[in-house]
This record gives sequence, C-alpha cells and structure tokens, in this order.
Amino acid sequence: MMNFINLILSGLATGAIYALVAIGFTLLWQTSQTINFAQGEFVMVPAFFVLATLNLGMPLPIALLVGLALSMLVLGVLFKNLLVDPMLRHGVLPLAICTMALSIFLKETVKEVYSAEASPFPSFLPEGNLIFFGANISIQSVSIFVFAICAVLALQAFLARTSTGRQMQATAQNPYVAKLLGVPVERMIMYTFLINAALVALASFLISPVYLAKFSAGETLGLAAFIAAIVGGFNQIRGAIVGGLLLGIVDNLAAAYISTQYRGAVPLFLLIAVILFRPQGLMGRAEERTV
Amino acid sequence: MTKPVLSVREIVAGYGEMTILNGTTFDVMPGTITTVIGPNGAGKSTVFKTIFGMLKARSGSIHFKNSDITNLIPRKLLAQGLCYVPQGRNIFPELSVLHNLELGGIAASAETNIAQRVDSILERFPMLRRKGQQQAGTLSGGEQKLLEIARSLLLDPQLMLIDEPSIGLSPMMVQEVFSIIKELRAKGVSILMIEQNARSALEISDDGLVLELGRTRMQDRAQALLNDPRVGQLFLGGVIEENTA
Repeated sequence: MMNFINLILSGLATGAIYALVAIGFTLLWQTSQTINFAQGEFVMVPAFFVLATLNLGMPLPIALLVGLALSMLVLGVLFKNLLVDPMLRHGVLPLAICTMALSIFLKETVKEVYSAEASPFPSFLPEGNLIFFGANISIQSVSIFVFAICAVLALQAFLARTSTGRQMQATAQNPYVAKLLGVPVERMIMYTFLINAALVALASFLISPVYLAKFSAGETLGLAAFIAAIVGGFNQIRGAIVGGLLLGIVDNLAAAYISTQYRGAVPLFLLIAVILFRPQGLMGRAEERTV
Repeated sequence: MTKPVLSVREIVAGYGEMTILNGTTFDVMPGTITTVIGPNGAGKSTVFKTIFGMLKARSGSIHFKNSDITNLIPRKLLAQGLCYVPQGRNIFPELSVLHNLELGGIAASAETNIAQRVDSILERFPMLRRKGQQQAGTLSGGEQKLLEIARSLLLDPQLMLIDEPSIGLSPMMVQEVFSIIKELRAKGVSILMIEQNARSALEISDDGLVLELGRTRMQDRAQALLNDPRVGQLFLGGVIEENTA
C-alpha cells in the first residue's frame, strides 16, 4: 500500500510535468496549427541556458530568471518569427517536418556546444522525505506536483478571467471573426508562443534536478507530452492536463506492476486504444476538417 | 441633397490572380437599408470583405462619412462606426454568451463604458441575458445570429454590413432578424445587406443594388427594382417567361 501511494505520487509529479508540456503543445496547435515535434527538446534546452548562466558565476535564482527570459526569446519569439511564420505559409505538414529538423538541430547543438554527458542540475525545491500515513513520501515529488498544478491553474485563470486571455481563446476558436472584432490576432498568437516557452522552461527547471540535464533528455518527454495531448484531446487544455496526469500514473504503475521492460510500451498501448475507441481524446471535441 | 454615408468608387479587388471586383461603384444613403443582389460569384461578399479591410482593394476608393477608409484594418473601421456581420456562424462556441458579447467591445475607445453598453444590449435581447452563462455553441442557429448582431451593436455603429442574415434560419427567426434591421434603421443606422431572399429583403429596403461580374449593373430605389422585369426574371423568381408563353 505504501508503495502504491508513492507510485501514484511520483506518477502525479511526472504527470504534472507531462501536462505542462502537453498544454503548450495544444496551445500552439489551437492558435497557429503548429505541431511542434521539437517540444521535448524545448524542455531540454532551458536547463542548459540555466547551466550556462550558472557557469558565469550567477546565483541560482538569477540563472533561472535568465533561463526563462532566454527561453521566451529563443523558443518563443525566434521560433515563431524564423521558423513557424515562414513555414506555415506552405502548410501544416512542411512546418511539422521542420520542427522535427529543429529537434535534431537543438540536440546536436547542445551536444556540441555544451557536453554529451548528463549534467547535474540544482533544484530550487525542498528535498528529503516526509512520513505521511506511514508512507515515506518524497517532498520533491509533492512540490513538483504542487508547483506544476499551480502554474496550470494560473494559466487557466488567465485564459478564462482576463480580457487578454479571452481574446487568446477567441483567436484559437475563430481567428477570422476575432480579427473582424478588432482582436490583435497576431499579438495573441505571439502570446501563445511566449506562454509555451514559459511552460517548457518551468517543466525543464522542475524535471532536470530529477533526471539530470542531457541533450537527449527531451526525446522521451516530447513523446510522452505528445501522447498525453492526444489521449486527453488535442484541442483542449483540460484534456492535456488529464492526459498528462493519467500518463504519468500509468507509466509508473506499469513499471512497478507489469515490467520495467514494457514501461515504454504502455503509453503507446494507451495511445492506440484512445485512437481506436475515442479518436477525439478523453476530453476533446471532434473537429471537422476537409481532407 | 444629403451626402451618402458610404461611397464606393471603382473598386478593383480579388484573390490571388483572380479579380472579382471590376470597378464596383455605389452609394449608401444615411438611415437607409440598401440590399445587394446578384447571381452567385457576382462579388457580393467580396465587396463587404473589401470595405471592411479583410481583402485589399487594388484600386479605387471607399469613403465613410467623408473620410477615406480604403484598406483600413477592421479595428480602425470599428472605431469609426462601421461593423460587419459576415455570413454563417461567427461566434466563439466555447466562450460564454456574455463573453462573446463583450468581445464586440475590443475596439472601443478608452472612454466607452463597455459594461453599460453590454447592459443596454441585454435589455434589447433578453434571451441573451437569460442564456448569458451558457457556452455560445449551445445556442440555436437563430440565437447565434442574434448574438452576432447584438455583438456588432456594442460599439454603436452608424453603418452595418450584414451578409446573408437569414440563411439557414427558421421563418420566424427570419422575421425577427428583419424586424431588428428595420428597428436599427429607425434609430438612424444605415444598413448594407446581402440577402439570398431578394424579394423579402427588397421589400424592407429603401435602395437596391444589382451586382454582376463584379460591376454595378443597376442601382435604384428598392421598389423600382422590385418592379423591374429584368430583375424579376433574373433574381426574384420571375414569371415573365410564363406570361409571354
């Protein structure tokens, strides 16, 4: 039982990270039809921004802020202006292929410029264990979960309760009409890219202390977030949350109770099942599209 | 003589290599309803998109209340008192009815009291107040059209472009939409309307305009167009053939 609680808890912590990354995924899709196959690498890169800043002798809080700012600049503004905007004119597919190329480019660049070895990453969260109902619970897992969920709730509140948030939603749901009403559609799309960059940076800062910073760290994470987004429903933020948490838990339980060898396969089974029986995702709404 | 509120002169516009409007020219007089009729592909909707800055005019000019508005962006046009209700469903299905309505005030100047405007609109459309918290996608087609019209009234427009307001609506809802349009005219709002139901539209209109291949074929009083046998034959389900046969 103790073991089970722990598994669920660390599953929720990982799942919350998946959710952060998956939300960014769905946001980009909704507002600009961008399927970002480099999303995993987007989580890997901010950790190296922070490590590079730390190497210059900066304290951790400053380094985290610099990492966040650089992520928003490089993974937000530059990504949109240099890659998404020019490629989207040619269609969704060329852009998707370009993001695959970008993912290889980012991995190789980090490997060449920084290091091919895994680097330890300092945690800004409390560590140690907590005894709770007889179970030995990792404080880090709990705080990762709490931190990520707070970020998600803050984002939800921003989208639902502020005028800017609703203008972003309007842009996602019907950009043509949003423009007719005078919504600055281009600016709203840029905000989405900035929010995505902030989400992946946060995910990076939360997960790198656990799994270390490594150029290939984004591979599994990107796939997990992609599956989480599809399982939850690609066009819904709350779908990404549910998908992320579910995947985190299933992943952990499968490793413990089925076999660690099949751990990587279980999310894919989940993906296949969802695509077969509920293709719009658990929380998603069916979209009509001419092919 | 009264000056037109909108005057469109020799507009040329189109998509890519295709030219749809070939020198379209017409006027809309203040406080009137003007209906645009014409066969499919005549460029009716294209005229609206060009007036509202969603499509670039390659040449020609558009004047609204004596100021040149050719190729201005929608936000600027809204601020000047123009609004546009396009064809089809144009709401944000997952936002609440109220939030949909409020989005009509995005282009408002800082001194506009949006809350007060929303309240007076809800006074006129009690259905929207009743269903304010529902997701807009749950409204019926007719209710969604009313929401769109209500939303476009938030900035107190002087000229409203409305494209096929009755399409896909129940006969009762069509009556409702037409009576709102007449009510707006009574308040001094000028209306430029495209309507597939040409006869009913011309019956409530002051002026009419026949577009063909991107050019103005005729512009006349609505009554005159209704009585014109050529128009009757072409667009109003005319009976001339039968009479002569």
